[in-house]
Amino acid sequence: MSDTPIIEVSHITKRFKGLTAVKDVSFTIKRGAITGMIGPNGAGKSTTFNMICGYYPPTEGKIFYDGKDITDKKAYDYTNMKVSRTFQIMKPLKNLSVLDNVVASAWFGHAAAKNERQAREKAMEVLQFTGLYEKRHVLSKDMGTPDQKRLEMARALATSPQLLFLDENMAGLNPAETEEAIKLIRRINESGVTIFLIEHIMQAVVSLCEEVIVLHHGEKIAVGTPDEVMNDPYVMEVYLGVKKEDADA
Amino acid sequence: MDKKKAVRDYHRNLAVTAGIILLIFIAIPIFVKSPYILNVFVLVFYMSTLSMAWNLLGGMTGQNSLGHAAYMGLGAYASCLLVVRTGINPWLSAVAGMVAVAVVAGVIFYPCFILRGPYFTLVSIAFGEAIRQFIINSEFFGRASGVGLPYGKDSWIDFRFGSKVPYYYVGLAMMILIYAFMKKIERSKIGYALKTIREDEDAAAAIGINPIKYKIMAVVISAMVAALVGFFYASYIRYIDPELMIQAKSTEAVLPAIVGGAAFVEGPIIGGLIMIPLSEFLRATYSAILPGINMLMYAVVLLVVIRFRPAGILGWYMNSRAKQFVDERILKKPSVEVIEEVEMAGGR
Ligand SMILES: Nc1ncnc2c1ncn2[C@@H]1O[C@H](COP(=O)(O)OP(=O)(O)OP(=O)(O)O)[C@@H](O)[C@H]1O
Ligand SMILES: [Mg+2]
Repeated sequence: MSDTPIIEVSHITKRFKGLTAVKDVSFTIKRGAITGMIGPNGAGKSTTFNMICGYYPPTEGKIFYDGKDITDKKAYDYTNMKVSRTFQIMKPLKNLSVLDNVVASAWFGHAAAKNERQAREKAMEVLQFTGLYEKRHVLSKDMGTPDQKRLEMARALATSPQLLFLDENMAGLNPAETEEAIKLIRRINESGVTIFLIEHIMQAVVSLCEEVIVLHHGEKIAVGTPDEVMNDPYVMEVYLGVKKEDADA
Repeated sequence: MDKKKAVRDYHRNLAVTAGIILLIFIAIPIFVKSPYILNVFVLVFYMSTLSMAWNLLGGMTGQNSLGHAAYMGLGAYASCLLVVRTGINPWLSAVAGMVAVAVVAGVIFYPCFILRGPYFTLVSIAFGEAIRQFIINSEFFGRASGVGLPYGKDSWIDFRFGSKVPYYYVGLAMMILIYAFMKKIERSKIGYALKTIREDEDAAAAIGINPIKYKIMAVVISAMVAALVGFFYASYIRYIDPELMIQAKSTEAVLPAIVGGAAFVEGPIIGGLIMIPLSEFLRATYSAILPGINMLMYAVVLLVVIRFRPAGILGWYMNSRAKQFVDERILKKPSVEVIEEVEMAGGR
């Protein structure tokens, strides 16, 4: 049982009108580990992620979770299956306090709170864990990017996932904040949560991930340990090219 | 612990304040004998209740309905027709009316929630007009001339009185009950689901909320409360016709919530207490000279509120010096942290 990968993606393709954003991609996510996905802008990372999380279905291909076909599951079924996600473009519940943002999550998922008190206790716990406790009474729209990124994670955690998807949770953070975020992700993983993350910040990918998948133009071009992947000639070509573009932008 | 005591005192002060307000409302009919003024209060009670029903959708869920007069009207028709045609007890007919309206609203709006965006508002307008046209053309519903309820001896069983005082108390009780109910919803799982949907449907789905399911729940609950108001209205006026469902009436259901503050369960009551007496006063004073002046005034007030206080009166109050004063001097409210600490520690 624990030999089956927690997620198996089998030949998924996503076409938007004329554009093929993801082309025949297959890979697995190892239970208990932190797996990363990298690739230049527009490579199809978020699209892949969104298909796995049920945000939209793949045009072709299948997705398995614990060996079960979940290709047609709806986004709102996932927290009941112990899977939770964040969004690259943050979606805080703007007019609610940080606490209420997290309380809302605590009401749902496989371990949903049964009453208001439980929901609050759960939320407080998650806020302590993610370092948002002091800001719990702030309206989420009044916080800066680093805290909103944390809030994305806190909301996902409040549904008690065993598998967590993070889409560029460190983009826009300064080095110190990145270091904090890396520590937090490691702590989440150590508490038993399998993590799949998309990240541009190499430092984070290298220090966190056991395995990395590289996408380029919608295709998987490499998979392996961070070291293996970074030394792959094709990846270096693609990636270094993009790094320069990024620096110019 | 003095923190504990501070919180206990605060809750006591809140309860005492609420009690005093309630006593004032209970005492009003003892001192006010004018049927005209009592009528204004009855209007305030049922219009605020209708607006609370609207606010569950508009304020809490972010789904703007412009068809609440139709739910109210349908509720009124369902219970009136049952009473007139089958002779069942009016209180039972109220329940039947609420169930009927719940079913109709659920069935009609299910398909339009599959689509996102302003479709709900558009369908709600069309819904109201369609129901009205249907009734105007239906012999069973009494066509344009409407349906009257039998008059007779004062009776609680038949919910029928010559005086306005019993309606005053029933209306007040209805408003308070619905307020308590909405307050309960706000703090429950459903309330959090609705607020999350209002803020962001994708985020809602990502934490496990099925947006369609919860929006249907909100429409059904909201329509049932509107139907209850319809029953109350019919029993009070003792006559209903399709005019009850014209578009302007649906707009009137929205105004108290917007003016009072749609983000707050209390908003419709505060807005109702201000807008309805004002409207009635203007109608009574000027309508002979300038017909429609009350509608004009409604429009002006709405524009002013949206321009200067988009969050409504309560939205303003929540960040005002007035609230600071009330909290510190009258209610003696401890800091949020202290309240939280005591609540989490003691289990209230
Ligand atoms: N909903 C959509 N409709 C049409 N095209 C889309 C849609 N979502 C993504 N695309 C396109 O698919 C391609 C892949 O986008 P995707 O967001 O998956 O890239 P990404 O790897 O996450 O990039 P980034 O690093 O910038 O986040 C892009 O060309 C994008 O414009
Ligand atoms: Mg992306």
